[in-house]
Amino acid sequence: MHIRRFDRGYTRRKFLADASRGVLATGVLAPLWDVLAAEGEMTSAYPDELLSLDAYTQGRIKTGDEIHAGNVEFVKDLLEPIRYEQILNQGRRLKTTRTTTDLMRLSPWEYIEATLSNRGKARFDERGNVVTADGQPWIGGNPFPDPKTGLELFAAQTLSWGRHDSSFYAFEVQDVDVSGKVNFDYAGGWAELHPVARVSLSPKPYWEKHKDKLRFQSVFFLEPHQYRGTSFLNIWPYDHKTFPQLYGYIPEFRRIRQHPTDQRFEPLLPGTTMYLSDAWAAGDPLNTWGNYRIVGRGPFLAAISDGWNPDEADWRHGTHGGPKGDSFWDTTVELVPEAIVVEAEPTMFPRAPISKKRVWFDARNQVVIGMVTYDRRGQPFRSFDGAYSLYERGDKKVMDGAHPYWSWTHVIASDIQSGGITRLQQVRQLENSHFSGANQDDLYDRYLTQSALLRLGGA
Amino acid sequence: MNDGDRVSLRERIAVWLIAHRLSIGILFAAATAFFAVGIPHVELRTVFSDLLPRDDPFVQVFKDHPDFGNPLTMLVMVRCKDGSIYNRETLDKVWRLTRDIDLAPAVNHDQIVSIASSKARYAEAKPYGIDMRPLMGDHPPQTDEEIALLRERTRMAPMVARFLVSEDERATILSAQFIEHRLEYGETFEYMQALIESARDDRHEIHLAGYPALTGWVYRYEAQMLAIFALTIAALITALALRMRHVAGVIVPIAIAAMAAVWAVGLVGWLGISIEPLLMIVPLLLIARSFSHGVQLTERYVDIYAQVRDKRRAAELTMSVMMVPGLTSILTDVVGIIVVAVAPIDAMVRHAIFCGMWALWLIPAGVVWAPMLLSILPTPKVAVHRDMTKTLPRLLRGVGELVTGRRVRWTGIAVAAGAALVVLFAQKIEIGNPVEGSNLLHANSEFNVAVRKINNDFPGVNTLELILEAKRPELADWTAQQVDTVLTMTALQQKMEASGAPPRASLSYADYLAETSRIFNGGNTRWLPLDPDQRAISAAAVGSMMGTSAANFGHVISDDLQHATVSLWYADNRQSTVDTALAAARDAVLAVGIDHPEFRVRLGSGVIALQEAVNRVVQRYHWIVLALLNLAMVLMGSLAYRSWVAGFLLLVPVNLSNWALLSTMYALGIGLDVNSTIVAAIGIGVGIDYGIYLLSRICEEYGATNGDWKAAICASLATTGSAIAFTATVMALGILPWYFLSGLKFVADMGLLLVVIMGINMLLSLVVLPLLVFQLKPTFVSRATVIDTPRMGQHDPRIE
Repeated sequence: MHIRRFDRGYTRRKFLADASRGVLATGVLAPLWDVLAAEGEMTSAYPDELLSLDAYTQGRIKTGDEIHAGNVEFVKDLLEPIRYEQILNQGRRLKTTRTTTDLMRLSPWEYIEATLSNRGKARFDERGNVVTADGQPWIGGNPFPDPKTGLELFAAQTLSWGRHDSSFYAFEVQDVDVSGKVNFDYAGGWAELHPVARVSLSPKPYWEKHKDKLRFQSVFFLEPHQYRGTSFLNIWPYDHKTFPQLYGYIPEFRRIRQHPTDQRFEPLLPGTTMYLSDAWAAGDPLNTWGNYRIVGRGPFLAAISDGWNPDEADWRHGTHGGPKGDSFWDTTVELVPEAIVVEAEPTMFPRAPISKKRVWFDARNQVVIGMVTYDRRGQPFRSFDGAYSLYERGDKKVMDGAHPYWSWTHVIASDIQSGGITRLQQVRQLENSHFSGANQDDLYDRYLTQSALLRLGGA
Repeated sequence: MNDGDRVSLRERIAVWLIAHRLSIGILFAAATAFFAVGIPHVELRTVFSDLLPRDDPFVQVFKDHPDFGNPLTMLVMVRCKDGSIYNRETLDKVWRLTRDIDLAPAVNHDQIVSIASSKARYAEAKPYGIDMRPLMGDHPPQTDEEIALLRERTRMAPMVARFLVSEDERATILSAQFIEHRLEYGETFEYMQALIESARDDRHEIHLAGYPALTGWVYRYEAQMLAIFALTIAALITALALRMRHVAGVIVPIAIAAMAAVWAVGLVGWLGISIEPLLMIVPLLLIARSFSHGVQLTERYVDIYAQVRDKRRAAELTMSVMMVPGLTSILTDVVGIIVVAVAPIDAMVRHAIFCGMWALWLIPAGVVWAPMLLSILPTPKVAVHRDMTKTLPRLLRGVGELVTGRRVRWTGIAVAAGAALVVLFAQKIEIGNPVEGSNLLHANSEFNVAVRKINNDFPGVNTLELILEAKRPELADWTAQQVDTVLTMTALQQKMEASGAPPRASLSYADYLAETSRIFNGGNTRWLPLDPDQRAISAAAVGSMMGTSAANFGHVISDDLQHATVSLWYADNRQSTVDTALAAARDAVLAVGIDHPEFRVRLGSGVIALQEAVNRVVQRYHWIVLALLNLAMVLMGSLAYRSWVAGFLLLVPVNLSNWALLSTMYALGIGLDVNSTIVAAIGIGVGIDYGIYLLSRICEEYGATNGDWKAAICASLATTGSAIAFTATVMALGILPWYFLSGLKFVADMGLLLVVIMGINMLLSLVVLPLLVFQLKPTFVSRATVIDTPRMGQHDPRIE
């Protein structure tokens, strides 16, 4: 049924009116999180125009169609400037699919349950850290599912990048230069584990011994052979203003070295177009940035589902576009009915080459669905656009405990100025010994200690 | 077919063309409209690499590895006039400049390096790990302690100390790299120039250098060139109006110039060929040539009209009589312009197409259309310019006396002695015209001063790059960090530093690897030498890039870590420095071996190698160009006068003027370079026109004076000689302002040399050619009908 009162103009007017009053109330027809909590899906929170690309474009682009240079103008308002530029001039294409309406397909099951059960229990303490009512570290799920400020959205993202208590991602990275040539090809593992806000792994919600830490996170490399065994370990304090400790290990030097970590606008690896600061659009401690503000709301195109590729044994993705047809991942996007656009400034980085970042959050699950940073002249600079998915398609699925695994599938990080692109993808396994997945019991000992680094370096 | 038939054929053509002037006029108008449509597509663009000889091995190395040698980097030097840079004010200035450079259009935000940027780091091995931090904290130092700390940290960073802070600590460098496909050189340069101008004060000198800055200066001066262009055109038109003083005399030369210009510019627009602004003086010369051709034609028309008193008939006769000298002189111009295209320089080829066709369009415009125009324009008053030229003909008749009178022997001896002298001095000319900085700009230009200052305080910009080029760059195994590659870099550096002409500094990726090895092994300098082991070197490579980007090493290795360069800095780019540096480099390359399993060593790129490449092409082609021109001129001259003697006779004054030009250059301390090759070619091509016009007139007057050599020569000098003197003046007027006004040395030098060679050409044509004719009394002159129109018959009554 199409209610004329709630046409596209109404939606736009509603978003604009709310923005002008400084109101952030997600949902158009009804409060989103009330609807989600009651119904488990969000159809009744939005009019048709925000749930279907066909309706939004008035039939010019149908669900299942591909967005390309010839029709991108119809959805220009649904894209951030860098993806728009890439589609218009660099041969990038996006396949479209139906809007996901089921809340439980939009985040890990346990995370959503914790979000619902802990709703309303979070606050910021005097240091700006997210704490419970009694001042303890956060206890799990999204602390601000019905966010009222940009800071709340960023706080949730910074607290938990992968939304699991622990994750291991076997990954591959390709760096493509402006000529379309793949200059660097890395493979390795990324591990992260939260000692607080735990919802799956015991003990919950805290690993008492490390209650003062936000996360352990490591990355190690198997390829190229020059990098084999090279690894880094980050230990993040829970304090949202303190930089993590960084340890690095290069096997030949046989000693773990501690490195400074306050230089966030540098890539971790040669050739990559991603600053440390860009990771997950929230790669720095929360309060090293400031002036968080919501600057817009509206529909958006993002890769929220159908991003998993079980047809390939190791889940690898195809590529297309760019000068050599190798610049962009094949990506499926859907119409996100409501994205919240937040800007922030690097207030604690007087030498930052950027003036601000603009991040798009999906109002339904608050995951980051797009990020663009702007240089100090106000020109678009870098972007970070990822794809998420429930790892389930037909009878194929990857389990995370009792439920299908939910995670990111691939990421494109672009520097629109230099033309460099970094593609990352999560693969099933590397060398039959490192497997992607969540909430593994042995993650800490295998990947997240200094002795683990030494062991990985000897592999 | 006898001569009389040929004359009549020319006349018949002229009569037919004038009879169909309306249809032909419409045809020309349509063609002009067609070419005019192409004009908006014309692009004025300087591509510096197109000024280099494409077949030179050094240029090929440069084009294969254009990123080495920092082609996209601007350097800003801040020098404290009254002491060390380590004071609050200077450091604050450096901090602000660094931040402001980050706002420059098209700057690569990740490639801004100064002691205030996060890229300039010191590294210290401490018990708990490696402390690798920016030299400066998160703000410019405010206290003496903070300043002392910065100085201490800078000293702990050898690479920084060598390349960012001068030895006397009074100057520091800020460097910024720009993104090529986003770079609008003019816009970025103006931003950077404004930045440094506003930062200068009583205590600080601030200089801007680097290739993008050079391009910016050239673009700024090219904009200035448009104003000079307009000014010189105005001067030319004024001179024309003063000289001619009648409508036809002013309109016809302008119309010829305008039509040829529209056709030429429109053609390159249609062909999609960009115009090289640095060579814009040649189109201006062509406009002056159009004017001079128009003047020759109109004056002849006035002469003929005085006799026949019928506009149409006068136009027919003018077209007929001017056909051979007009065609021949224009064709010699064309050859003089296009012959430089034999040199393998892309800019020359484009220039040859653009300007060569422009010159060629003077045939329809000047030979066909102009007489038609004369036939419809108001009747000129014959006596108008007689008074104006009274002095000049008298003077030239004096010259006639010198070359035909009693003193002719002394004149001959003087000319022979002068010729011997200029030939002797011309032998001493040197190849190359080195300027510290860029030869495009004056030695005292702001850019070249900046380069000199930077060269004084830092390793500078005079580099020689020895490239280690991966044979299989597609392989995953990065060639730049393989054992053989790294050891070869080190060996090359050692050999060059131990040579008889050591560079003032050298740098390669091996230096960074050694420093990384030291830091990661605990900091002791004993760890500097790299183990000749792949694991050790790979580990150093990984360590060197921890927390940084491969692009940060773009000056020593390619972004994909496959190719590498050994950079060697020299104090200057004098030819002796270039020669010794290249000789040492050849020995070093041979010693380490050119061909290795995974890479080859290529000599070389950088300022030193490219300067040598340009010198070599001048050396190779200067004489080839001149020889080809002589050949073409002999053929055309012989054909026009149907006499080999005539062909060779015409060559004498122009070659003598070329020797005279070389002698003058030697006397002025200017070496042979690309400019002078272009000038010499044009000098011969355009200069021979004077001889052609004068010789044609001598032939004509010889018949009219019944074989009186002296009278024929004197009359020719007084009439055509006068027009030659005027046209030479017109061209000098058109070109000389460029010497005084252009900020581009390249253009100014061309202007000066063109004026010099045109002046010498004029002088020698008016003295040497008639002298030779009088001495040799060649028989082709007596075949008066070759050039003359028998039905016009009488010599100019004004000569009486």
